[in-house]
Amino acid sequence: MIKRRQLLKALGMGGLASLVSLGASRRSRAADAATPPKRVVFFITAHGHTPNSWMMPIPGGSDSVVSERPLTPVTRDELGLMLRPLHPFRDRLLVVEGLSNTVNLANISDALRDHTDPNNHSVAVASLLTGNRVRQQAGVPCTGGARSIDQELAVRTLAPGRFGSRVYGFDYVPNLTVAPFSFLGPGQSTPIVSAPAVAYQDLLGGYVPPPTGQPPDRAQVIASLRPSVLDMVGREYEFLGARLDAEGRERLEAHRALIRDLELSLGAGPSALCDPSFAATGHAVSQFMRLIRLAFACDLTRVVTFVAPVPQCPEFGYPAEAQVHPYAHQAMPGGSACGAMYNPVAEQAIQDLGVWYANHFVGLLEQLDAVIEGNGTMLDNTLVVWLTELATPHHLHNDTFAVIAGGRHLGLRTGRYVRYPRTLPSPQPNHVLLGPATNRLHVSVLRAMGYPDDSFGLTEVADSSGGTIPLVGPLTELFS
Amino acid sequence: MRRVAVFALVLATGCGNDRGLPVTGIGPAPLRRLSNTEYLYALGDLFPSLHPVLPPLPADNSVSGFDNEVAAQAPSDVRIARFEAIANLYAAAATQDAAAVAAVTGCADWATPTAAAACSAAFIRTTGARLFRRPLTSEEEAHFVQRFTSWATAVDFSAAVQLTLSAMLQAPQFLYRAEPAEAALPVAEPLVPVEAYAMASRLSFFLWESVPDDELLRAAGAGELQTEDDVRRQATRMLADPRALRLAWDFHRQWLGLDRIMTDEHAVRTTEIDPAWTPATQAAALRESRLFVERSFAEVGTFDDLLTSRRAFVDREMARVYGVGGPAEAETWNEVMLPGDQRAGILTRAAFLAGYSHRGGTSPPIRGNAVNLRLLCQLPTPPPDGVDLSMPVADPGNGPKTNRQLFEERTAGGCQQCHHSLNGFGFGFENYTASGAYITQQTGLPIDASGEITGTDVDGPFANAVELSSSLGTSKVVLRCVAQKWLQYALGRMPTLEEGTLVGELGTHLIASHGDLHLLLTDIVASQTFRMRKAEAP
Repeated sequence: MIKRRQLLKALGMGGLASLVSLGASRRSRAADAATPPKRVVFFITAHGHTPNSWMMPIPGGSDSVVSERPLTPVTRDELGLMLRPLHPFRDRLLVVEGLSNTVNLANISDALRDHTDPNNHSVAVASLLTGNRVRQQAGVPCTGGARSIDQELAVRTLAPGRFGSRVYGFDYVPNLTVAPFSFLGPGQSTPIVSAPAVAYQDLLGGYVPPPTGQPPDRAQVIASLRPSVLDMVGREYEFLGARLDAEGRERLEAHRALIRDLELSLGAGPSALCDPSFAATGHAVSQFMRLIRLAFACDLTRVVTFVAPVPQCPEFGYPAEAQVHPYAHQAMPGGSACGAMYNPVAEQAIQDLGVWYANHFVGLLEQLDAVIEGNGTMLDNTLVVWLTELATPHHLHNDTFAVIAGGRHLGLRTGRYVRYPRTLPSPQPNHVLLGPATNRLHVSVLRAMGYPDDSFGLTEVADSSGGTIPLVGPLTELFS
Repeated sequence: MRRVAVFALVLATGCGNDRGLPVTGIGPAPLRRLSNTEYLYALGDLFPSLHPVLPPLPADNSVSGFDNEVAAQAPSDVRIARFEAIANLYAAAATQDAAAVAAVTGCADWATPTAAAACSAAFIRTTGARLFRRPLTSEEEAHFVQRFTSWATAVDFSAAVQLTLSAMLQAPQFLYRAEPAEAALPVAEPLVPVEAYAMASRLSFFLWESVPDDELLRAAGAGELQTEDDVRRQATRMLADPRALRLAWDFHRQWLGLDRIMTDEHAVRTTEIDPAWTPATQAAALRESRLFVERSFAEVGTFDDLLTSRRAFVDREMARVYGVGGPAEAETWNEVMLPGDQRAGILTRAAFLAGYSHRGGTSPPIRGNAVNLRLLCQLPTPPPDGVDLSMPVADPGNGPKTNRQLFEERTAGGCQQCHHSLNGFGFGFENYTASGAYITQQTGLPIDASGEITGTDVDGPFANAVELSSSLGTSKVVLRCVAQKWLQYALGRMPTLEEGTLVGELGTHLIASHGDLHLLLTDIVASQTFRMRKAEAP
């Protein structure tokens, strides 16, 4: 027989405080339901897309000022090949042409100067979402040198009972190590969950259903003491941390804070307004798209990064013995010291791979658009930002691919194709002129999410002639 | 029988002398979390009879080539959730019935309040010491006794054991290797010895990738881990223990990239290469390399053997790949000697050869780059933008060509700036297909597997991979690289520039000992860098 007073006493050593916090958590979540929260998904795909497969002409457009073209009247066939699956959502899209991963170019220049890792893949995956210097260590591929934009937003949107972010997807190994894109901090890749079933357990596995009126059995009572165990564990982190040097104390404090978050999340069930059911059926990518909807609908997180897989070639219609990476290198004309390499079959393959990604991207948009929120849908309150590792399949970093979907209620003026002029110098000598840096896209995401930041990552980099290239400010043309 | 070192090498100068190196010769000793490998081995060693099904841990970041890099051990919400889930699974399994509770507590009776109090105190003291790798402080003991009592009152004694065990398995004293400073020294010292129990953990987590055993903890408690001789004695004992095989395998699989063979790319081979290749072949290739590395390390223990031995352990699948007689039954592994003109050490085994190939053919630059990067510690220069990375194919109008000829054409001219070295090593492996099988002809033409070693102290031509491996096995440049990699793995971080002297000394002694890896590891743990730490500022 479980003695309720004794149970409360056991919980009261810390667990009770947790339960009080949980109550507050549930109340705040209920309050949030009246005002749909702002959310963001970073949808990341490997390599890059050929310009021919997505860039559009703008009648009367200019090379010196920002130009745009409405997408609503555009027919499916007027879109680039890989954007055609997105046609049903064209009024909810911002297709952005002309951005540059300027920081990548600076990082590569630094690496060539310092004899560290200048590999285009390594640098790109390490700085796409950080907008910052990469972390170089002699003899090994470079990695992220700062917190990435998704993790910055995770820190800002974290709340009791709600994860800061979820990072889902698949290992991408372009070089010698897995490329995670998302970083908690310098050299600290964010764990990526690759099994949808595990991801579901993470979202709802800590949930303990409320009492049904029947006295709890022994197992339930033990389970109900998990917050008490975590409370004690957290105190041990404080206890030991106080006996370590500053660096050790800082490490344990970071761990302790996450234990406290977990403690506070236990017992916090999903909102009554959401459907927490999930069936692990269908393509793994599709399962993740459904999980993202579930996580948002239940307000279990507001930030998701999804790293799409590099599929086996038969998945998008090519032979089993073929491989994506060689296709990517041959997808665009361009010479090198080792001879010409353009292959039209490779270009077509990379375009078809883009279509494959686009179909999954649309699958996510459909999931989000199926949830009614306020006077719109979840998609209206969510930014879905599709970025690619590289600007082009053959390693360029300028004129990168960027598509933003949703976010109508976050201040974005969607239904447009926006072209930025290339007027800025490059960090690399003898390089083409560049458009605005992707750092400014990250700033725009911060602004849309309600944060007044003017910069993210580096604020400027040196150009090849001794001047500076500014990386600050939002892309104001994307907003209403 | 492992070869005995030809002479006793004591690091008489530099790192062997506690006072011989300047303070700047020792790098930082940051707080280390158990890597996934260490964590799982520790659980297995602490609870050998328990086998709960565990959720996957988030991967450790291999930012410097090894998964125990301390700089990449930031916690995450996913990791904390996994640690909690795994702690709960082990705690539940350890207390599943009364017999299990008796086993984990070591108590026969907890029925009366007096017996329960004595049992809980003993359980906390004993289990805490095993999990925390040192005696609990009185404060720690009080924390756990207090919470145990509360949980026992709320539920029952067994539940309190379960919840206490779960808490201990999530505690920083278990998951991290804290090294509290020793008591204040009477005079200011730039270096202080690592605290005795922390030294026991340094030894065990390096040489066994797991927790210290009773003997190590006893030695720590008895003050028998203080001198260089003490440490060498323990290291010699530990390297003779089967747990040292974990270290041998985990180091070599990461250093040489042997588990590349398990990536999706290598799940299949084209029909032309090997129609019988299946995912089971992948797994067998990895297992074969593991058995070879472990036995070489345990029974010979020299770098030369690793690069020249013909000894192999094959199941039917590996016997097929190697073209030798194999066991009659599946799941059986037999020891065989591979043909001396075909195989020499780990670089000529399927995991390496196939892991550094494409599914449809071999790539000499990829294999050559592996030699440069892994054995010479040379960072690769990436291919120029837009370079054609596809497999070269023969023009049907120009007659058949070997793979080597096609790559020579592809990488001629300006490419030779890098490919002179890459091809020089890579062509040496052309006798091996993308599945690791040995061949002497391609498209009806004889294979030329000759090449040239560059950038070492053993530069010069070689006839094939057997000669290449034999030369690399004795190269001073390679042995210094080996010493650097082992030290990096021991420290969980890149050696600092300050520690360059130690790297040099270790390399020199490894060369002098003809590549004795056991001696290298003993030298590492006996060094000041391993046994001492900078004194904290008052």
